Amino acid sequence: MNTPSDPFAGAPDATLLVAFANGDGDAARLLTARLLPRVLAQATRMLANASEAEDVAQEAMIRLWKIAPDWEQGQAQVSTWLYRVVANLCTDRLRKRRGGVSLDQVAEPEDDTPSVADQMQTNARMQALSDALAQLPERQAQAVALRHLEGLANPEIAQIMDISVRSVESLTARGKRALADIMAGRKAELGYQDD
Amino acid sequence: MTDPNNDMLDDLFAEVRNVAPKPSDDLVARVLADAVVPIRKSAPAPQRSLLNRALDLIGGWPAVGGLVAATMTGLWVGVAPPAAVEDLTASLLGDQVSVGIFTDDIGFDIGLTADG
Repeated sequence: MNTPSDPFAGAPDATLLVAFANGDGDAARLLTARLLPRVLAQATRMLANASEAEDVAQEAMIRLWKIAPDWEQGQAQVSTWLYRVVANLCTDRLRKRRGGVSLDQVAEPEDDTPSVADQMQTNARMQALSDALAQLPERQAQAVALRHLEGLANPEIAQIMDISVRSVESLTARGKRALADIMAGRKAELGYQDD
Repeated sequence: MTDPNNDMLDDLFAEVRNVAPKPSDDLVARVLADAVVPIRKSAPAPQRSLLNRALDLIGGWPAVGGLVAATMTGLWVGVAPPAAVEDLTASLLGDQVSVGIFTDDIGFDIGLTADG
């Protein structure tokens, strides 16, 4: 993706969003360049499915464009809002998986990739983790994903999920324990040594 | 003592955190195609009452004021016409004529009969 030169260099995302709402096409391109990679990454890590992650990323950006005219500067950070939207869209998808159908649709690596075996193993692990997340209560899945897959701090997660920091700590602790139990049985299959 | 399952999870989390796919050109194109500024929803125009719509037809409250003044003036001229108006009327329509519905002597006759 070509990153356009940034006449809004250093401007907050919210400023760009207001500029977009006022009809500035460059602002839309810059927001896409800034935000889409992170949105896509969050969706991919939770869903382990390239096609579904792209759909979620596109839907999240559509929601961003729609809210632009009503965005109030200072009410929240655009990134916080997007984390929430993507987390909700992903848990919606994970809920549909809970029927027992596992979507083994991780993008296959190209055959001439040198580390093809490693890549396949990473994909299998991501898929297993995503399926395990699908078995958790949705709030636990969101808290665990934001804490451990996105690497966010608890206060930021509290803002995203609109709950207290203490609740975040509780959700992530319980979620991680539940994930460990679910994943324990697949340890060997996923290439982890039992020591 | 560390929990081996937790260690596995921590390794897995770290591995997944490194996954950062680059958006495809197709996805970027789709996102930009969606980037149409939505039309801000404006409040619907309030429904105007029948009275207000009638007032609009004649020019609003100032016009009503003028109409009321003209009506009152006309009424006043009808009830107590100024002498100039009476003279004008007489000159245009002729002299004023009074018409009685009783004959002049009817009272006299009644009086005579009573006395007699």
